Amino acid sequence: MTKPIIRIKNISKSFGAVRVLDGLSIDVMPKERLALIGPSGSGKTTILRILMTLERINDGHIEIDGEQLCHMERAGQLVPADEKHLANARQKIGMVFQHFNLFPHKSVIDNITLAPILTKGVAKPIAEKRAMELLDMVGLADKAKGMPVELSGGQKQRVAIARALALQPKVMLFDEVTSALDPELVEEVLSVLWQLSTETDMTMLLVTHEMGFAHDFAHRVLFFDRGKIVEEGKPGDIFRQPKHERTQAFLKKILAAGHRI
Amino acid sequence: MVESLSLILRGLQTTVSLTIFSLTLALVVSFLAGLGRLSKNSAVRAAAIAYIEFFRGTSLFVQLFWAFYVLPFMGVELSPMQAAVLALGFNYGAYGAEVVRASINAIGRDQWEGCVALNLNYFQRLRHVIIPQAIVIMLPPFGNLAVTLLKSTAIASLIALPDLTYQAQLVRNQTGQTLLPFAIIMIIYFAISTFLKSGIQLAERRLGADRTQPARSA
Ligand SMILES: Nc1ncnc2c1ncn2[C@@H]1O[C@H](COP(=O)(O)OP(=O)(O)OP(=O)(O)O)[C@@H](O)[C@H]1O
Ligand SMILES: [Mg+2]
Repeated sequence: MTKPIIRIKNISKSFGAVRVLDGLSIDVMPKERLALIGPSGSGKTTILRILMTLERINDGHIEIDGEQLCHMERAGQLVPADEKHLANARQKIGMVFQHFNLFPHKSVIDNITLAPILTKGVAKPIAEKRAMELLDMVGLADKAKGMPVELSGGQKQRVAIARALALQPKVMLFDEVTSALDPELVEEVLSVLWQLSTETDMTMLLVTHEMGFAHDFAHRVLFFDRGKIVEEGKPGDIFRQPKHERTQAFLKKILAAGHRI
Repeated sequence: MVESLSLILRGLQTTVSLTIFSLTLALVVSFLAGLGRLSKNSAVRAAAIAYIEFFRGTSLFVQLFWAFYVLPFMGVELSPMQAAVLALGFNYGAYGAEVVRASINAIGRDQWEGCVALNLNYFQRLRHVIIPQAIVIMLPPFGNLAVTLLKSTAIASLIALPDLTYQAQLVRNQTGQTLLPFAIIMIIYFAISTFLKSGIQLAERRLGADRTQPARSA
């Protein structure tokens, strides 16, 4: 039997007095694609940020690929991970942000090659060759020498995806990667994600408000509200026959806002 | 007349060297203390704060006199040039440290988080992502500090370093002329500070415009 690649065990997270995640547990199998949906403030981004080690948890444990993410063993005890442990754990995870987070002072290709060269010691020509393949995949080979500021939002986001892929993570996290884009640019980014889903078997977690895309892309959909999973299941079931009334209300609101399923 | 001029020009050489050495020291110290101020290690942070506050809170004159007259009692004998470089470098380094700190703080959290997601270590984040962007913000205030430092070098004449100001006084004592030597050094100070400013502006254009703006396509 295969083991989950991500095991989130009973984690909690508070910002000050506000409890954002409350005893959350999720198992994600290798190659699985998960869509995380739910109202604003329900904690979707926080989950991805915790997995990317951008936030610390207050309670619970996370295992990635059988190894502790936020903890490490010291004298038989699990203690909060130090930077060295985190750096090691991070190698398995990549993340694409809502606002791209490209480095504006570096060219497109340098954005992509920077981390492989620095963190994996890949030789520059090899890193560049690989970056060109990735740029080709996202349809931006002709922009390699350009600066991020010259790109449209959709192009920036495709570069950001290529940059994350260059490190060959086992798990990719996508946090509303199209919601900062003009409507006409959404499709070009989604089609890159679609391509990833058909051509690779990477484990992917997708936070999105694009329900139609989530339906086609994901193996499993989790509906969140107030830091808890209210309902989960196959996309067809969640979107067509949501059982929980909060899921129904959420989907109705999304549909009313003009999103397709 | 010719002799007066050559005396003053000898002072120019000293002033230029003093400026270059002090600026270099100030720059190094600015980064060390500015980054120390941002360190996660609280002892490093405290040391940086203590240094910055102390040097900004005591007079440059007094620091210079300490370096030249008091340190010898502690067994550190410095030449006038060494004492002046030390005092100017550490004094302006304290102001520069605040510039470094503020500029780094001005870089958005998204840049740091982008670095974490790419698994760059702390040094790599600073070296390749944060500082190159912060430098653009640092340049104008650094330029102002550099010009102020140049003008402050005149105080080194008080510990008998034969810089422009000292030499002008020498000429005055020797020839009894006052207007001429002081007019000459005023013009020279102005010329050097103009030169410094335009150098900084050139660097600003290079770094600021070409790095983050679209490359002007050929
Ligand atoms: N750094 C922070 N400090 C304080 N509160 C925070 C912080 N980050 C998130 N929160 C709060 O945590 C809650 C969950 O936020 P999160 O960003 O995870 O929600 P989300 O599901 O991604 O929402 P959205 O759909 O709007 O992106 C919100 O109430 C938010 O205000
Ligand atoms: Mg969010």
